[in-house]
Amino acid sequence: MLPGDFQPSRPTNKQLIKWGILSLVSLFFVAVVVGVLMFVISAWLGKPLSVFGYDEGPDQPIAFPHTRHVQELGLDCTFCHRNVETGAAATIPPVGLCMTCHAVAGDGLAEVEKLREVAAAGEAIDWVRVHRVPDFVRFNHSAHIIFFSEQDNILSSEVCAVCHGDVGSMVKVEQARYLKMADCVNCHRDNNAPTDCVTCHY
Amino acid sequence: MAELKQTQQRQWGMVIDLDKCTGCQACVVACQSENNIPINEEAHYNQRRAIQWIRVERYWEGEFPDIKARFMPVLCQHCDNAPCEPVCPVYATYHNTEGLNVQVYNRCVGTRFCANNCPYHARFFNFWEPAWPNSLKNQLNPDVTVRSRGIMEKCTFCVQRIARVKRKAKNEGETVNDGDRALSPACVNACPTETLFFGDFKDPNSTVAKMKDKETHGGRGYHLLEEIGTDTNVVYLKKVDKHAEAKEEVHA
Repeated sequence: MLPGDFQPSRPTNKQLIKWGILSLVSLFFVAVVVGVLMFVISAWLGKPLSVFGYDEGPDQPIAFPHTRHVQELGLDCTFCHRNVETGAAATIPPVGLCMTCHAVAGDGLAEVEKLREVAAAGEAIDWVRVHRVPDFVRFNHSAHIIFFSEQDNILSSEVCAVCHGDVGSMVKVEQARYLKMADCVNCHRDNNAPTDCVTCHY
Repeated sequence: MAELKQTQQRQWGMVIDLDKCTGCQACVVACQSENNIPINEEAHYNQRRAIQWIRVERYWEGEFPDIKARFMPVLCQHCDNAPCEPVCPVYATYHNTEGLNVQVYNRCVGTRFCANNCPYHARFFNFWEPAWPNSLKNQLNPDVTVRSRGIMEKCTFCVQRIARVKRKAKNEGETVNDGDRALSPACVNACPTETLFFGDFKDPNSTVAKMKDKETHGGRGYHLLEEIGTDTNVVYLKKVDKHAEAKEEVHA
């Protein structure tokens, strides 16, 4: 080796340890960012990934079992969601409607006791919303229910499953369909419904 | 545009009889509350950024003491040759099959080209996130989108009411009737002097079609800025001024 020749300096042990730790930390951060992005993107696509129970519906203040009411007691969807044939919103029943049965039915059940407390206090139940379309979308339940029930000659309550899935068999209500614009537009095309923007956006 | 006009089923339009307008602003108030229009403060007016889908223009005619106030409600004219439509880069504004000039809020990216191209100053840009005092939050119309900051908005001829009436008619197997108050925009229903008329120009038996027929051929009818060829769907009927006519006769 000639004197004055360029020689890259060798890293000291201390530097090697520092770089090692740095690379591990940055790997960890990249993994976290990728993980978060995956959840964000999948949520943006409509339904979260089905890991860690993320695809399950939210916990409700009162664990209302649709299975018990629909499958075992045979209640019709429209018995509680009364506005579904006439209005834009299907509406969640007021506490008073629950109490028409639960004033006497379901003694000793913890969830029914919760309901009775709420009713006695004259309050409303803060249900967690499961299905939500953006504010610039005007969805009308009555138009869809009436169209499908007339077209297929079925009961109103049999139409619900087209978008909501089989709620009767869900212990916790979850979103069954993506409910993104492509989902809506495809169905509108298939059924010769208007696809003019102003049908839903105004 | 001409072909589209022939194939479309409806042609919503308005007739405004200026002879009846007293400039009371009831239409403006009705529109603001029906369509969730944010509250315009004085500063917004001073910046020319106030949002008014319908406004009442005021003119003075003559010299004091022989002076007259003239009023003219101006709203989106729903032009068939709309200057705002071809300049939108994202097709956020277009003409639908019912003759409405439609603004799609979720498509709009806020270039403001359309507002610059509108000769009637009928398009308004949301320069701020709309805000209401807590006492007014529950009065917002659930059938109308609350427009966020950065997008354009304008008169829709209360398309939510048209949609509601059409949906009801379809569900119950009926037809949409001319002169149905549920069909008319908020401004038309609010007008105490029946200055504004709303209806379907395609239907020859509708009130507006008859008025247009009668008045545009040698009558009082005219379109706003007719000479620029926007082919509007709002017909104005000019003021009848008995006093001025009598004066002219005297001078003659």
